[in-house]
Amino acid sequence: MSEIRKTRIPVKPGYFTVPEDPNEPPKLLGSRCNRCGEAYFPRRAICARAECLSEDLVDITLGPEGTLYSYTFVHMPLFGSSNLEHMDGYGVGQIDLPEGPRVQLPLAGKREDFFIGQRLLAELDKMREEGNNEVVIVRFRPIEVKG
Amino acid sequence: MKDVAVLGVGMYRFGMWDVPNAVMAREAGMAALRDANLSFRDVQAAYVGHIFAPVMSAVRVMKEFGLTGLPVQHVENASATGSAAFREACLQVASGEYDVVMVLGFDKMTTMIQQSAQSTSAEYMEDAILPAAFFALWATRRMHERGMKAEHLARIAAKNWNNGALNPMAQRQPRERTTVERVLQSRMVAWPLTTMMCCPMGDGAACAIVGRADLAKKLNPGRPVVKVVASALQTEKYAPGHLFIGPVVGPAQMTIDTSRQVYEEAGLGPEDLDLVQVHDAFAIEELEYYELLGLCRPGEAEKCIEEGDFELGGRVPVSTDGGLIARGHPGGPTGLAQIWETTLQLRGEAGKRQVEGARVGLCHMMGGGSVCVIHILQRD
Repeated sequence: MSEIRKTRIPVKPGYFTVPEDPNEPPKLLGSRCNRCGEAYFPRRAICARAECLSEDLVDITLGPEGTLYSYTFVHMPLFGSSNLEHMDGYGVGQIDLPEGPRVQLPLAGKREDFFIGQRLLAELDKMREEGNNEVVIVRFRPIEVKG
Repeated sequence: MKDVAVLGVGMYRFGMWDVPNAVMAREAGMAALRDANLSFRDVQAAYVGHIFAPVMSAVRVMKEFGLTGLPVQHVENASATGSAAFREACLQVASGEYDVVMVLGFDKMTTMIQQSAQSTSAEYMEDAILPAAFFALWATRRMHERGMKAEHLARIAAKNWNNGALNPMAQRQPRERTTVERVLQSRMVAWPLTTMMCCPMGDGAACAIVGRADLAKKLNPGRPVVKVVASALQTEKYAPGHLFIGPVVGPAQMTIDTSRQVYEEAGLGPEDLDLVQVHDAFAIEELEYYELLGLCRPGEAEKCIEEGDFELGGRVPVSTDGGLIARGHPGGPTGLAQIWETTLQLRGEAGKRQVEGARVGLCHMMGGGSVCVIHILQRD
């Protein structure tokens, strides 16, 4: 193998980790309120709960596992992606993370693979190459099969 | 809302037009002034909404009517732009600051699409996902929780296409009756939403003149006076499970909270409504809003759709002008098209789509999922 591995960079910094080890799943970057305990994705400086509004928030990581709350399959290319896998469309899910937040992100697989309540694992998905970089987005892949 | 009336309304038909914003806006505005029996000289202030036009477009477009020195204020709140501008104008009249205010909305969504097609990178993570996906996720959840079928969504869409056929200002005016089967067979956008269950891209303009209610009678003696009896605008309240990232986000609860506010202000309830306009950018939205606005009890939307409750001639007709799905949704003018339709209906001037004896109408818009604006109009 003479191919040089490209450096993976996030489509937007500050939302998820890009582990050195390609086999290690990414985690989402969130915040937790030190006063009321509410957890958020993405990171924020002020607690959003009207009863709290504390400025005492700490950085936390979320996932990498989650549970599927709802899903769809979009029959259009993923915007900003030149990955052939995305040309015929892509799954989208709302995923409940064990720490509390619900997130909306792409899903790996076909609509028939998804079901509400399904266990999922985060992974990095290549959108396009830019020089020596590979631009990646975080998505979730089912780790539980139907039936 | 104290003694505020819609004095006049006008539209430039929504569609894909090779016509500048200034021309569409001028024609809609002049139509509204003629309808109000007023001259631009009488307009004391203007609230102008657009989403996709460059900085200062409102002030530039307003020069089309004449340079009278009047104050012009830009308003932007995504899809709810026109509705938010309308609210600001009504509040100004209610406060006593002005007697006659123009509310103007225009947009060329087709230009925006050309611009974004030229850019290949998603600057924000949320840009990667199609907005339709968010509402498709509502649909999947509804199927899971309430046993909704794609046919229910198709029936809503078919109703709106058929209502559009009766509206000369609608972008989609099909010559043949639209069937549930045809909607289901159209191209899949985001499962289970097909292209005919989604609003089109478009251009257009719409205008409303609002003013002191006593002026309405003087200007157009003998014509029913349409009053704005309640207005509310809310943004999101945090609750567990809140989504922050996505092209469109926002909790359904916002429509419940905002509607409670207008019902209380108007001293009316959902049972008093004769017709309703909603933000039906996607058919599943309209289905959810039936319940969120209290037009039926939670869990009963499917049954009510099957019984034709929301069709013209039904218990409470919804999206009588075709809604966003058929009348169209250029952006800035969309909320004002709802005011146009409701005003004509309450005056008894809605032609083939007239709701018999309509006295009370509600207009509901969402902006980016994160803003909800609701107005109640009532014939005096």
